[in-house]
Amino acid sequence: MLSALILIPIIGALAVILWPGNITAFTAKLVSGLTIGLTLVGVVFLATQFDITTPGFQFEELLPWVEPLGLSYRLGLDGLSLPLLAVNSLLGVVAIYISDPHLHRPRLYYALILLINGAVAGAFLSANLLLFFIFYELELIPLYLLIAIWGGARRGYAATKFLIYTALSGILILGAFLGLVWLSGNTSFDYDSGLATALPLAQQITLLVALLIGFGIKVPLFPFHTWLPDAHVEASTPVSVLLAGVLLKLGTYGLVRFGLGLFPDAWMALAPLMATWAVISVLYGSLAAIAQTDMKKMVAYSSIGHMGYVLLAAAASTPLSIVGTVFQMVSHGLISGLLFLLVGVVYHTTGTRDLTVLRGLLNPERGLPFVGSLMILGVMASAGIPGMVGFISEFLVFRGSFLIFPVQTLLCMVGSGLTAVYFLLLVNRAFFGRLAVAPPSASPQLDVDLPGVTWRDRWPALALAGMIVVFGVQPNWMARWIEHTTLALHEPYQGFVQASTLRLAPLNESLVADTLVTETSIPAVVDASVLP
Amino acid sequence: MTQTLPKPASVHPLEPFIDRLLSADALLPHSETNVLEVVGILKSYGVVLDAYSKNLIYIADDQFLVLFPFFKYFDGEVSVGKLLKHWWHDRINFEYAEYCMKAMLWHGGGKMDEYLDSEEFLDLARKAATAKTKANPLVRSINAVFPDFLPEQVRQLAYYSALGQFWRVMSDLFIDLSDAYDAGTVKTIPEVVAFIKAGLVAAASNPITYRVEIKGQTYDILPKSAGLTFLMDVAVPYVEAVFFRGTPFLGTVSYNAQADQIPAEQGRFQYGALYADPIPVGGAGIPPTLLMQDMRHFLPDYLIEFYLASGRGLDDVRVKICQSFQKSMFCVTSASLQGLLPYAADTPNPQEQVANRTFLAAWMDRLMTSRLDVVQL
Repeated sequence: MLSALILIPIIGALAVILWPGNITAFTAKLVSGLTIGLTLVGVVFLATQFDITTPGFQFEELLPWVEPLGLSYRLGLDGLSLPLLAVNSLLGVVAIYISDPHLHRPRLYYALILLINGAVAGAFLSANLLLFFIFYELELIPLYLLIAIWGGARRGYAATKFLIYTALSGILILGAFLGLVWLSGNTSFDYDSGLATALPLAQQITLLVALLIGFGIKVPLFPFHTWLPDAHVEASTPVSVLLAGVLLKLGTYGLVRFGLGLFPDAWMALAPLMATWAVISVLYGSLAAIAQTDMKKMVAYSSIGHMGYVLLAAAASTPLSIVGTVFQMVSHGLISGLLFLLVGVVYHTTGTRDLTVLRGLLNPERGLPFVGSLMILGVMASAGIPGMVGFISEFLVFRGSFLIFPVQTLLCMVGSGLTAVYFLLLVNRAFFGRLAVAPPSASPQLDVDLPGVTWRDRWPALALAGMIVVFGVQPNWMARWIEHTTLALHEPYQGFVQASTLRLAPLNESLVADTLVTETSIPAVVDASVLP
Repeated sequence: MTQTLPKPASVHPLEPFIDRLLSADALLPHSETNVLEVVGILKSYGVVLDAYSKNLIYIADDQFLVLFPFFKYFDGEVSVGKLLKHWWHDRINFEYAEYCMKAMLWHGGGKMDEYLDSEEFLDLARKAATAKTKANPLVRSINAVFPDFLPEQVRQLAYYSALGQFWRVMSDLFIDLSDAYDAGTVKTIPEVVAFIKAGLVAAASNPITYRVEIKGQTYDILPKSAGLTFLMDVAVPYVEAVFFRGTPFLGTVSYNAQADQIPAEQGRFQYGALYADPIPVGGAGIPPTLLMQDMRHFLPDYLIEFYLASGRGLDDVRVKICQSFQKSMFCVTSASLQGLLPYAADTPNPQEQVANRTFLAAWMDRLMTSRLDVVQL
C-alpha cells in the first residue's frame, strides 16, 4: 500500500510523458491532478487504517534490493510521516490546480511535479537511510528544472544556486549516513534508533554536525538559507507552494527523524547550540523579512524564521515540543502554501509584487477583497493569532521548549512578534489605503482596472484557509496521529528533560503535562521522588 | 490698420478648455462612448432625481418641524411592505439627497443664503414655528432656551424644498435628454451640453418659493416677493456646493485633518463631484455609493451592455457608474458655465471677450486639481 503512494505519481508522470499523440495542457493537468488526488485518497485511507497507539512503523514493506550495499526497499509509516504525507498530497493537488492552464511544455511540467510528489512521498516513507537519500536526491532535479524552465527572469541563477546548495546538503547527509553505518559496524542501512548508541560521543557529534548542516541547508537555517529567497522569487507560484509547503519539510523531517531519532547522546550535547542556532535563524529570518519590498521574498524570509521554531522544539525534545515540531511543519506547510498562493494571485492580477507600489488591494469593487481577506487570515495565522493552526503549533513549540531553553524560547517568541511586524507591514502597504498598482505619476492615469479573481482561483486558497482554521480550533484532529510516535522519539531524552528542568526550578508534573496529550499517555518525565 | 485679437492677460494652463467652452464645445471630449455613458447615466440619474425631488418636497411640506421624522422617506404611504423593503435596503437611498441638501445649507451662496439670514425670514419662520409647536410645550420650552434652534430647522427645510424644486426641473430635463438621444436628435457631447444649457436657461428665472400648511392655514417661508430664482439662487449654489466644494464625495484631495490637509477656508474645499475619486466607491455607507447604488437600478440597457463589455462587467458597476456620472457632471458644468457667461460666447466685442475669458479662467483655476485631466483620457 505504501509503495502505491510512490508508484502512483511516478506512473502518472510516465503516462503524461508517454501519452500517445499530442497531449493538451488541460489533459496533462487533468491526468496529473487525478493522479495526485488518488494519492491523497490513499493517504486518507491509510489514516483510517492507521493504529494511533502504535509508535513504530506501520504498514511496513520490505524488499531486498542491493544487499551488499545494505540498501533495501524498506518503507514504513508512523505518526511523524503521516501528516507530512497528507500535506504533500494536498499541496500537490493545489499546485496542479493552480498551474497556468496555458503553460508551454505541459508534458514535462506535470511529469516533473508528479515526480517530485512521488519522490517526497518516498523520502517520508523510507525506513532505510540510503533509500531516503535516493528519494531526497531524486526530488532535486525536477525542482531544478521547474525553476530553470518555468521560472522568472533570473531563473538560471536561482535554479543553479538551489541545485548547488541542495546537492551539497545531499553529500553531507550521505556522508553522515555512511559514517554512521560503517563506524557502527552495521551492514544494513535500515532505520534503527539504536544505530549510533555504540559509537563514542565525539564520532556521534561529528556525524550529527554533518547531518545538521546537511538538513540545515534544506530547512533552510541561517547562514545556509541564501538559496531560498532566490528560488522562491524566480519560481512560479505552484512551484513556490510546493517548495515552501513540502520540500522544506524534508529538511526538518530529516532533523527530527535522523538527527533526533538516531543520535540521542550527541543531540543532547549539541541541543543548547542548536537552540541558539534556531534563535539566530528565527531572528535573522524575521528581521530580513521586515526589510523586504518584494512580497514573495518577505514570505520566503518568513519561512526561514518559522522553520527555526522546528529546530528549537527539536532541540528541546520534550514530549510537547516534539509534537510541536510536527505541528509546526504541517502548519507552516498550510500557511506558507496559502501565502505563496495568494501572493501568486496578486502578482498574476497586478503584474507586480512590489510593496512600494501596491496599495489598497482590499478595495471592494476594483481590488482583490477576497484574496486580501484570506491574506489577512493567512498572516494572522502565521503570526500565531489564536483560532488558527499557527497559534497551536507556536504554542506547542514555545510551551514545550521554555522549560529547557527559556532564554532561547523567549528570543524565538520575539521572532513571533516580528512576524506580526513584517506581515502587518505587508498587509498595511499592499491591502489598505487607496488602490494603486503603479507608482504615482505626474501625468493623468486611467483609474485602476484590475481583472477580477474568479472562483477558480479562490477555491484552493479557501480550502487551505479552512484547514488552517479547522486545525486551529480542533488541533486534536491532527495531534492524535502524531503523539504516540513523538513520545517514542522523546523516550531517549527523558533524563535530559529531567536534568534540565530540575536545574531551572522545582517543578511539578502538571507543568510538563500539556493540553493535547492525555495524561495517561505521558510517561512521568520527572521522577516524583526528587520533587520537593 | 490691421485688426488684431485682444491679447490675453496671461495664458491659463487650461486655456484649451476656455477655448472649447467659448466655441460651444464641452469640457468632456466628444466620443461615441462618452455620449452613450453621459446620456445613459443621466437617464438613470433623472429617474433617481425624480424620487429624491418628490421626497425632499414631501419632507419640506409634510414633515415640517417634525423633529423625529421616523417615516420621512415613505412619502406619506406607510405600510408593512414598504417598511420591510426599507429595512431590506433595496430602496432609493434618500439619505444621499439629504447629504446634498446639507452641503447646500452648509456652503450657502446666492440670494437664498442671504435671505435666510434676513429679519424678514426670521419673522416668517418664527410665525410658522409658533403655529406648528403651539400644542407642544416641550419644544416651545426648548425654543425659549435656544431661540435659534427652530429657525435653523426651518432654514434646513427651506433647502429641502429648494433642492427638491431644482431637482424636479433637472430630472425632467435629463429624461427629455434621454428621449432626444433615443430619437436621434442628440448625438454628440456638444449637443448634450447645448441641450442641458437650453434647459437651464429656460428655467433660469423660475421662482423658487416655499410655503407650508399648518392646521389649514398657509405660512410663507420663501415668499415670491423674496425674488429667488432657479438658476442664480439654487442651481449655482448647488453646483458650487455639490460639484466643487462638496461633502458627499470622497475626493482626490485628502480629508486628513490631523495632517492639516483640509483647507482652512471653506471656499477652497475640493471634495465635490468633479474631484471625486471613483475608486473608493463601493465601501458600504459612503455617500456617493448610495447614489451609484440607486442609479444601478435604472441603467438603460445599452449602458448595461457597455459596462458588461469591459473589465469586471457589473461586478464593479458602481465604480463605472461613478466614472460615467463624473463625465456627465463635467457636461452639466460646461452647460452651467456657458449659461453663466457674462456675455454671449461669440461676442465680437474685445472687452466682452476678455470679460468672458476672465470669468472662465477663474473657474478653470478651481478645476486645476479636478479630474478634468482624467476624463480626457
